[in-house]
Amino acid sequence: MLARILEDAGKKFLAEAGLKVPESKTITAPDEITKALDELGEEVVLKALVPVGKRKKAGAIKFPSSREEAQEMISELFAMEVREFPVNKVLIEEKVAIEEEYYISITYDKKSQLPVVITSSAGGIDVEEMSREHPDKIKKYQIDPFIGLPDYKARELWAELGFSGKLLRQLGQITSRVYQVFTDYDCTTLEINPLVLTADQQILPADCVMATDDLAIFRQPELEEFVQVGSERLWRPLTELEKEIVAVNEAEPYRGTARYIELEGGEIGFMCGGGGGSLVMFDSLMRLGERPANYTEFGGNPTATKVYGLAKGIMKKPGVKGLLVCCNITNNTQVDKVAEGVVKALTELDKDPAEFPIVVRYAGVNDERGKEIFENAGIEYHGEDITMPEAAEMMVEKIRQLNSGGGSE
Amino acid sequence: MGILIDEESKVIVQGITGREASMVTKHMLDYGTKVMAGVTPGKEGQEVHGVPVYDTVKAAMREKEVNLSLIYVPPAFVLDAVQEALDNGIKLLVVITENIPQKDVVKALKLAREHEARIIGPNTVGMINPGAGVKLGAIGGDNPDRCFVPGSIGVISRSGGMTAETSWMAKRAGRGVSTSIGIGGDPMIGSTPKDLLKLFAEDDDTEAVIMFSEPGTHFEIEVAEYLEEGNFSKPLIVYVAGKFTEDMPAGTVFGHAGAIIEGEGSKPSAKMERLRKAGALVAENYDEIIDCIKSL
Repeated sequence: MLARILEDAGKKFLAEAGLKVPESKTITAPDEITKALDELGEEVVLKALVPVGKRKKAGAIKFPSSREEAQEMISELFAMEVREFPVNKVLIEEKVAIEEEYYISITYDKKSQLPVVITSSAGGIDVEEMSREHPDKIKKYQIDPFIGLPDYKARELWAELGFSGKLLRQLGQITSRVYQVFTDYDCTTLEINPLVLTADQQILPADCVMATDDLAIFRQPELEEFVQVGSERLWRPLTELEKEIVAVNEAEPYRGTARYIELEGGEIGFMCGGGGGSLVMFDSLMRLGERPANYTEFGGNPTATKVYGLAKGIMKKPGVKGLLVCCNITNNTQVDKVAEGVVKALTELDKDPAEFPIVVRYAGVNDERGKEIFENAGIEYHGEDITMPEAAEMMVEKIRQLNSGGGSE
Repeated sequence: MGILIDEESKVIVQGITGREASMVTKHMLDYGTKVMAGVTPGKEGQEVHGVPVYDTVKAAMREKEVNLSLIYVPPAFVLDAVQEALDNGIKLLVVITENIPQKDVVKALKLAREHEARIIGPNTVGMINPGAGVKLGAIGGDNPDRCFVPGSIGVISRSGGMTAETSWMAKRAGRGVSTSIGIGGDPMIGSTPKDLLKLFAEDDDTEAVIMFSEPGTHFEIEVAEYLEEGNFSKPLIVYVAGKFTEDMPAGTVFGHAGAIIEGEGSKPSAKMERLRKAGALVAENYDEIIDCIKSL
């Protein structure tokens, strides 16, 4: 999975690898701009440092024409939320006189299963658009990860795009260094768009999109401070409940997994297991016209404590009226541990299965003992007697019965 | 018969002394799998459930005949373990470990291609051939018979849990499986569904195949093209999970790490449509798999 590294940090790594980068300051409050302008001059660009793409379109990059305007704009930026991300940091960067725009990106090509570098003489637009409109201005090359990207190979790419002379030498060297940063920092994406040629013939990265592999953080201590655990799979910052469950998960990092995504509305607490099993169950509920209150995946034989933390989190969300606990027949997850965790959470939150409908379908390792624990707590238990979609049907029926005023009398 | 593994499979477990690997070794032995040796550097001379442990694959192979490696080492050591197995001439590697950095996965897969070896995984639950009584990895846990009974249906699944559940669906429909394989949940894996369909196509004991898919990757498009080329004449039953993710905000990943939607073609609805056009039996609801099996 990827973890985004903000532009200021990305450029710092590029500079350390020997690339020339624009002069800049990162500030964390509007009033710090005065000092930044004193140092950088008044010809600047203001860029909100948020982990989302297409910032220009979102209005998160501003081009003030005077000191006064810069002061106004900086306050606007700090007051913004860019696709739900609050702006806590702004990059103040010298404005460069752009003569031409180029493009470099490095990523993993899933088909060839190799790193691939894409270079283009037409920067500034997104790569899909570029390959549609200017296929002749794009070069792609699959990199042997054991060899890397030597200067000469990078020069070949730029030469084929029509470059020569000093510019060709510089572009070759820059591209090779960008690959070095990509591989040294375990990136999954490193994109420089645009790479600009300035009026005084310097080549500078005007932007830098860097995403690093969160699975490699163990060997990238320098990156740790830039990456928030649990944020790599989301379209917005983590909610309080999500943070709570990330903490539950991290507390026992090697004992199973519990992931939780809070969703808007919904009455069914969704506690399903397995990456694939959760997808099947969510699809099954949606097919029946119900939208759960959250998404979850848990499995890999979690401890009862982890299950308890997750169950509690799921039921704590306001509006949750019932709980669906369902998984594929387990290969290693111990059903009795799941039962212990769920029952403990129910007891603690004082949920009575008579009023708070619960459907359990959980077969697998130690399921006889699991069944006993669930049934002793007054919870209806199912194992191999029903399929997963059948469990979804039962849940929906119970919730609808509850909403229509019971039906038990 | 079945594919890839049978009575002739002789297994070495790299990382055998780990908690999980040691438990799985016991379950594999109980099932009848020939676990010949294990490797954990620095622990030569120990035994794990009667299986001798060696410091290196080379040392193990001096004394034991092996033709398959099951890799259980932690993420940081997988690339090294894969290299070690390949350099010792092993041509089939099952990489169980999850959370391996992409940079290492890419290198491991490239080395395997250069050695003309096959990798299953990484991030797989393993595979099982109940007819031959052979299983590799946690698949089926301590009670494989619950989900995996001998039969003539092949199972290919992105999800480990759903490898078991889908095989159980075959059992519920009154049938059993020839070989069930978890291909691994990562975006880059050693053996894709198409690679495995090619093997199932040639296996006399496999009459039909069920494929459990998720959002993301180009695997299903590849399968559709393969079907259209007319190379697979057996029925292919497909369920694509995660249709709901199309209604969710972009940028969220549900399911396995490989489940990142990149381009229209990797959306579940597009995959279903494409596979249906190519002649696959596509189940709209997971339960329909049972009807599809019964219709064979």
